[in-house]
Amino acid sequence: MPHPKLRHIALPLVGVAVFAAPAVFGGSGAVYSAAVLIAIFAVMAYGLDVIVSDLGEVSLAHTVFFAAGSYTTALLSTRAGFDGWGTLAGTVLVALGLALLIGLVTLRLREFVFSLVTYAVGVVAVTLASNWQFLGGSDGLRGIPQLDLSIAGLALTARNDQELWPYAFALLVITVYLVDRFRHSRLGAAAIMTHLNPRLATVGGIDPARVRLQVFLFSAPISAAAGWLYAYQRAYVSADVLEAYFLILMLTAVVLVGRRQLLGPLFATALVLTQEKFFSLGGYVDKIILGSVLVLILGFFPQGLMGLVRPLQRLLRGGAPRHPIPAGTPAPSPPVGEPK
Amino acid sequence: MNLTQQVINGLVLGHAYALVAIGWTLLLGVARLVNFGHGQMYMLGAFVTWWAVAKAGVPYLLAVPFAMLVGAAFGLVMQRVMLKATFEQNLVSIMIMTLGFGYVLHGGAALIFGSTGQILETSLSRHEFNFGDLWFTGQDLAIVVAAIVVFICLKWVLDGTRIGRLVRMVAEDPKLAQLAGVNVRRVYYGVFAFEGAAVAFAAGMVAPRTPILTSMGFEEVIMTFVVVVFGGIGSVKGSYFAGVALGLFTALFGALVSPAYTTAAAFLVLIALLVLRPGGLSAGVAGAH
Repeated sequence: MPHPKLRHIALPLVGVAVFAAPAVFGGSGAVYSAAVLIAIFAVMAYGLDVIVSDLGEVSLAHTVFFAAGSYTTALLSTRAGFDGWGTLAGTVLVALGLALLIGLVTLRLREFVFSLVTYAVGVVAVTLASNWQFLGGSDGLRGIPQLDLSIAGLALTARNDQELWPYAFALLVITVYLVDRFRHSRLGAAAIMTHLNPRLATVGGIDPARVRLQVFLFSAPISAAAGWLYAYQRAYVSADVLEAYFLILMLTAVVLVGRRQLLGPLFATALVLTQEKFFSLGGYVDKIILGSVLVLILGFFPQGLMGLVRPLQRLLRGGAPRHPIPAGTPAPSPPVGEPK
Repeated sequence: MNLTQQVINGLVLGHAYALVAIGWTLLLGVARLVNFGHGQMYMLGAFVTWWAVAKAGVPYLLAVPFAMLVGAAFGLVMQRVMLKATFEQNLVSIMIMTLGFGYVLHGGAALIFGSTGQILETSLSRHEFNFGDLWFTGQDLAIVVAAIVVFICLKWVLDGTRIGRLVRMVAEDPKLAQLAGVNVRRVYYGVFAFEGAAVAFAAGMVAPRTPILTSMGFEEVIMTFVVVVFGGIGSVKGSYFAGVALGLFTALFGALVSPAYTTAAAFLVLIALLVLRPGGLSAGVAGAH
């Protein structure tokens, strides 16, 4: 982790660079579209990041929160005439409700049983979304108006991706800030402790079940907010927001750079989306690439790309060995040890 | 609605679920591993069988073993990549990797086999048995027989042979098993190869009942979860009965309530099971491990 002062200077600089990036890369419609999607999907991934990296569980229901944000926005804007603030508030409420429901049901479940149930939630959500007429069935919901966040005479709207970029960027910055605050909060510390040593956490007066539920409630609205903006970006919503693609993208974003790296999910999402939008080898090959990256990183570089950079950093620092907080997920029990 | 016909459908469906779930049962019971790519491996098995029969002109009875070989090979590749995480029992990584493998399979299968639906027709599925109003196909009968035979064989191998003893030793305590001279790595490889072959066998048997698509597999995973959890994690006998019970439930729910929401209904059963008997479940894990 860099020096705190350095961080205060570096982060705003990174922010300015990210904001200017679409203009620097030519400012075409395709570039802005990619930039907006990178921001949206990165926000989606940050929601999952705190569950996987901090809590050490794999929630496979985060596509459902993302989809819930999109569907809530579509329903409220087309049927009730809500503006951007109204749909955002609705999105957060629905996400909290769903997270509370899923969280309470899975409170006592851990590891694969937790993942199994959250995976099932995702599959059931697909069947619901594609069959239930209230959600548009297989046709989905169309005619979502343009984003309108105007307040008191100040017109804040977005008609295309270029105009949407500042809002997507703002959502991204707020998300990164919230995740950073979370990691420095008591809840964040409790989450890490629950993750690394639940027994010690309990002895220390932490209620793991409560912490898990709170982190779940914190993370769901983040992924849902990404779905909120995604609905405006696409102007329609259908069951394909629940596709496996989003789940795989989120997981890749979480693990590619290395866990608990503040800008990791953003950087990873940018890498994946850049490949898909500008160096695509066709939808199916792109799928193979994305899936393979996910598998190979975890199989052979469990520390992520940072695991490759760290030895270099150490070399530059003059070889003094450092032992930072483990970025990867440590094994819950001591390793068996591979036989020679 | 003819209730007896629905019971017949349910029994066939139930044996199909049990057959599809058998690889997972062993995987979870023995190695405490999970495979979220299970559904896509089922899809792969179905397509390889279809390809062998429809494109390469291989007889169905040879196409199924061929699909099993491909499935086993894929299982071995998966286990090779996940070996380190397996020895560390790093379930978080294993779960994510198996999801990734499933995604790769999805993309790969669509690339090779195309994204249009196919029908896997066999000589057995064309053969119908009629008894008054009631009917079932030769394929249905074959599924029931195959499921029963496979479950009996697995039970026998686990309980009565040297291989079964080694596998159970690893399930009990991998570290001690290793100290006792068991080649734990080979057991893990074997279990994953079995998972690949078993789900391909199940696909070769069950897939002729429905159109096959490269996007399928999700429903199969949910049904497998329910079977494995309901049967008691790692229990072979339990999985068989859980599969049959789930089949009857799904058939009746589909006929009486709504065929579109059978997966959702099965999921609610899963939730109810988890909430009602969480203790039983964890006992299952401890017992299996």
